[in-house]
Amino acid sequence: MSALLFILFAGLAIGCAVAVVAQRNPLYSAISLIGVFVALASIYVTLAAPFIAAVQIIVYAGAIMVLVIFVIKLLNVEHEEPRRQRLRFLVPTAIGLAAVLIAETAFILYSVQASGSRVRLPGPTSDVGLTQSIGVNLFTAYLLPFEVTSILLLMAIVGAMSLARQGNLLSPTARVVPGAQVLAMDIVKPRGFEDMTPVQTESTAEAAELLGVEFQSDPAKRE
Amino acid sequence: MSWDNPYLHSGLVIVAITIAFLTIMLICAATVLAERRVLAFIQGRLGPNRVGYGGILQPFADFIKTMMKEDLVPDQSTRFVFLLAPMIAIVTAIMAIIVYPFGPTVTLPYLNWTFPLVIARFDVALLYVLGVTSVGVYGIALAGWSSNNKYSLLGGLRSAAQMISYELALGLSLIGVVLLSGTLDIYSIVEQQSGWYGSQWNIIYQPLGFVLYLIAAIAETNRVPFDLPEAETELVAGFHTEYSSIKFLLFFNAEYINMITVSMLATTLFLGGWNVPFAETLLGRGTLLFALVCVLGFFAKIFFFLFLYIWLRGTLPRFRFDQLMDFGWKFLMPVAILNIVVTATVVFLLGR
Repeated sequence: MSALLFILFAGLAIGCAVAVVAQRNPLYSAISLIGVFVALASIYVTLAAPFIAAVQIIVYAGAIMVLVIFVIKLLNVEHEEPRRQRLRFLVPTAIGLAAVLIAETAFILYSVQASGSRVRLPGPTSDVGLTQSIGVNLFTAYLLPFEVTSILLLMAIVGAMSLARQGNLLSPTARVVPGAQVLAMDIVKPRGFEDMTPVQTESTAEAAELLGVEFQSDPAKRE
Repeated sequence: MSWDNPYLHSGLVIVAITIAFLTIMLICAATVLAERRVLAFIQGRLGPNRVGYGGILQPFADFIKTMMKEDLVPDQSTRFVFLLAPMIAIVTAIMAIIVYPFGPTVTLPYLNWTFPLVIARFDVALLYVLGVTSVGVYGIALAGWSSNNKYSLLGGLRSAAQMISYELALGLSLIGVVLLSGTLDIYSIVEQQSGWYGSQWNIIYQPLGFVLYLIAAIAETNRVPFDLPEAETELVAGFHTEYSSIKFLLFFNAEYINMITVSMLATTLFLGGWNVPFAETLLGRGTLLFALVCVLGFFAKIFFFLFLYIWLRGTLPRFRFDQLMDFGWKFLMPVAILNIVVTATVVFLLGR
């Protein structure tokens, strides 16, 4: 049963991860990334780590990705934009690194099986992943790393504040309207109506011809 | 057949989920009707009272009417995301109900079956609720983006900003209760509030946390006075302007189910969940009548919160967007943090 669940969620995670890279539309990539996070959280639950799973959903899927989607919507990145070709050397590098990673995993699997010793892993009923044991360990055995991480986060917050106070961080396409709202380019210029240049015409008949509609000048014939 | 049989257990869980789902849907329909009737009463009108006795079948008539409408997809919309958004909204809304205990542990007479009236009980139930709620933002944000409509996009942007801001205050306002209870398991939190005729309810020890939670929850469900994402005077219908028929219905239902689930959370964390004062003394713990009274008490508390929502809608005007942001970040957040510090200090000093 748990093997079936693992195959299901692992397949979902890998499929979504491939979609993150393969999608051209940045918003679709972001949605796929949310799928990866949710699938990983499900795997954590089957590994008896519900706290990590919940935190994964709250922090990554719930907070960070909302911000990413917010930014994509706000800046309205054009998805027809052709891919830049100057980073082409990254493709073989990525394939090589992936091969190294797979080789390492295979080596670990092989060496564990060859050594013959069955490693005793905590089963699905273990209490290692429960909130209480995590909390106790964070504030006793791992207090220093915990505090150092807190200071790192504090520095990030202060850095973000000091950057934001300098101003002029909005993109040139964003416009500010009264009520302290930032308008995306989507609102100023909707999709599907690219040609918005004004045209001057002399008569109604000429305008009708430009628009491609029929114009009946005689009111009596109009129905 | 053994009680621990996994197949029997999963079958029972599916039955429990079905019952809870139908109950929530019926409460949802009742709330829609109650909203219209109570609002009408506040505004000196009658409201819908023609379909069925006193208009009791009105929600079902509305349901059939909405289902019969044409299902439109805008021409320039992002089709896949447009279809995905209402599904995310409704699924995340419904997913949250599985952790709430509807009543105490029940023992069926003659059969000697003992089971708790909760679908799933696990260690991080409270975090699960917060996580599911935070994923619910995507439904609205993506709906606003994919419609290719200025009003929808503005509604979606407002909603994303508002829900990120108020989620923090919501989560922080609950930490006081967690500090007092020492657990994230909602079932245990309710159990700890039983006894002493209601004086163990967390609202007595966490009045500030309760008020903060109530305000943040109203903002989180996009209700008046925080309904900026669908402010009809400025944004037509906000993020669901382009949605019709069943998809509109899904958004509409998701909003009401969200109202119900935040009411359930307020009830379970602050008002003692299914605990009814004096019920245990008068009826004795473990009897069926006691369980029935407790379940009814739980629903009565939920309906109190739902009535409060409708009452607020009939009373208060809407915030302006900058007021909303200022209120969330400059008032609710610091007060919630203050609440945590004071509670933690008191818990430490009293060693509770």
